[in-house]
Amino acid sequence: MPAPPVIAIVDDDEDVRVATGSLVRSLGYTARIYASARDFLATCSSDAPDCVITDVQMPGMTGVEMQKGLRALGSRVPVIFVTAFPTEALRETLLAAGASDFLGKPCDGATIIRSLEQALTGRSTRDATA
Amino acid sequence: MDAPVVAAPSPFRPAAPPEGRRPGGILGIVALGLALVIFLVDAFTPLEGAVAVLYVVVVLIAARAFQRNGVILTASGCLILTAVAYFLSHRLFDSDSALLRALVSLAAIAISALLVLRNQSAARILAEQAELLELTHDPIFVRTPTDTVTFWNRAAEDLYGWRRDEVRGRNVHVLLRTAFPDGEAAIRDALMRNGRWEGELVQTVRSGARVVVESRWSLQRNADGQPLAVLETNTDITERKRAHAALAESERRYRTIFDTARVAILQQDWRQVKAVIDAVPRDSGMSLGTYLDDHPEVVRDLRRSVTIVDANAELRRLIGADTGAAAPQSLDAFLFEDEPTFVESLLALARGETFFEGETVIRSLSGERVPILFGITFPSHADGFECVLVFALDITERKQAQEALLALQSELAHTARVTTLGELTASIAHEVNQPLAAIVTNGEAALRWLKRSPPDLGEVSAAVTRVVASGTRAGEIVSRIRTFLAKAPPPRDWLDLREMIGEAVLLVEREMVRHDVRLVRDVAADVTPVHGDRVQLQQVLINLMVNAIQAMATVIGRPRLLIIRVAPDGTEHVRVTVADSGRGIAAEAVERIFQPFFTTKADGMGMGLAICRSIVEAHGGRLWIGGHHDRDDGPGAAFHFTIPMTAERGS
Repeated sequence: MPAPPVIAIVDDDEDVRVATGSLVRSLGYTARIYASARDFLATCSSDAPDCVITDVQMPGMTGVEMQKGLRALGSRVPVIFVTAFPTEALRETLLAAGASDFLGKPCDGATIIRSLEQALTGRSTRDATA
Repeated sequence: MDAPVVAAPSPFRPAAPPEGRRPGGILGIVALGLALVIFLVDAFTPLEGAVAVLYVVVVLIAARAFQRNGVILTASGCLILTAVAYFLSHRLFDSDSALLRALVSLAAIAISALLVLRNQSAARILAEQAELLELTHDPIFVRTPTDTVTFWNRAAEDLYGWRRDEVRGRNVHVLLRTAFPDGEAAIRDALMRNGRWEGELVQTVRSGARVVVESRWSLQRNADGQPLAVLETNTDITERKRAHAALAESERRYRTIFDTARVAILQQDWRQVKAVIDAVPRDSGMSLGTYLDDHPEVVRDLRRSVTIVDANAELRRLIGADTGAAAPQSLDAFLFEDEPTFVESLLALARGETFFEGETVIRSLSGERVPILFGITFPSHADGFECVLVFALDITERKQAQEALLALQSELAHTARVTTLGELTASIAHEVNQPLAAIVTNGEAALRWLKRSPPDLGEVSAAVTRVVASGTRAGEIVSRIRTFLAKAPPPRDWLDLREMIGEAVLLVEREMVRHDVRLVRDVAADVTPVHGDRVQLQQVLINLMVNAIQAMATVIGRPRLLIIRVAPDGTEHVRVTVADSGRGIAAEAVERIFQPFFTTKADGMGMGLAICRSIVEAHGGRLWIGGHHDRDDGPGAAFHFTIPMTAERGS
């Protein structure tokens, strides 16, 4: 039996990242939670996850900068963005930069699960209707 | 020659008798000497013959030497001398032939004396008449039908520069180089046919200057009807012509200005208005304004009575008239119903003002509204009212620019508010959404841990615990935001309500014009400044005014009035009333009108009045719906709000 996929969760809000971690684990995946984008980038070169769920607005380094950092390291890991203040402009920017998906907070579990499954099977949601 | 001008004896006497008529001259002495010689010969020589007849020569000489009485005296002397000589040389009836000779001589002397006296009288009349021709200011000369001068008066000497002795016998029209604008042959024909001619001639005087004269020719004929002489009277009209030409030039210049000005100019007849205004009774103590308010039919008649005598091209453009079409004949055609400045102009006229200006909206021929600036110049004297000059300037573009500017300003203010609100909303959304997201996600996770087989109750318990914590945290965030907002009160300034209403009116003016609403503004003199947030209170005023204007959109058949009143309400508050003459507010709507999301407008949010009320209450006042302040039975709705008046200025 293969090891379950590893999902990295990056959010500066503790409540959110613990809750998301719990949801991811309840689905049978392995969850790793990080309080900042820098913490995550520091570990991912040695031990890359299968998917990243990250907030957009975070102190220090934003989710957008983090994705650029990942790409600079040569990582193709899919990134799902979740934000409390979704705008169409931000959505387009992130999808154009190669984001796997873009979700608004709060979003229900079914949406996160579908988005995760799409990211893990390598299917892009770029052309799907949101 | 006969003088053709004056026949009756003139009241004027010649200043001095003509030369040679002086009594006691040399001729007198000659006459007396001759009489003496004749007497001596007659009486003391035996010469038989009518020697006494020679006394006729004495009388003729006396006629030239003496006036009437001298002539009579001389003739009488001659008669006596004849008689004395007869008696000295002949006794009575001595010789029939001698007596006959004496009688013939007496008769000859008497007849010659009578003839001389008559001739003298005729000559005196002639002299008087000739003197009159000298007295006139008009140059007069007499010429033969072939233009040879026979008479030339003093005024002719003055005008033409030649003395009479220099022109006598010369061809006058050659001398004066007369130009005949109407054609010389035609003029001479007319003279021969009618005996007279009148017209203009151009002549050259001695100095070489050209003069224009108004010439009158009269033809004198002899008993056979043959032309004898022409009397020509020439009046110098050079100056008059020049003045007339200058006047015509000035007139042409003003006409050009009138025709080409970019300002509309009208000439209107206000005589009827003047007469009616002057006739309005003033003794009852009633003002003209009150009278006109009470008699709208008088105002209507006066509007119709003002006729348009003339108008320039710019006016035609202003009212959209084709160059070919006739412009309206009456002022009434331009003015909308209840146009307010016409009555104001009547009051200005009644006060005796000579100029009245204002801003109004007139109606073009196609019925469109044209905003104008106008001025009326009233004559200072009563008989000039058939020509009252009115100018009008099209201010459509200026108005549009002003409206665009105001719209832009109001757009900017709105954008600023929206931006502030947007930033606030984003921040609140972010703050509150985080715990909400955690709650939802924890809930989802708890459900999934429960559905596992076997259910992982430890995870469920942990997730539900986090749900409770996040819910508590969301509540804390909301209360923190409220505390934050309460701690940041809006800026407060000292506000002049009169000024603020003026600004608000400017912002809604376009809306008022669009809905044909008239503003009635009444701000009491004893309103003191209030302390408050300019932007927020402005928002309340504009909101209430726009509501009022829109409430009247369907009103037909009565004036659409927006009434704004500001007055102290007696409780140290100032009360602002915004009322309209619309349909009013239904009783069931009055209950709910201040609730959020209540609206009667198709595109309304229903937030306006709710926000207004919270703003007014934040200022320590009240906002409510009531009847009209002074006419509870009037149509429409009235909103009132109060703001505390503060007697002294604070920090």
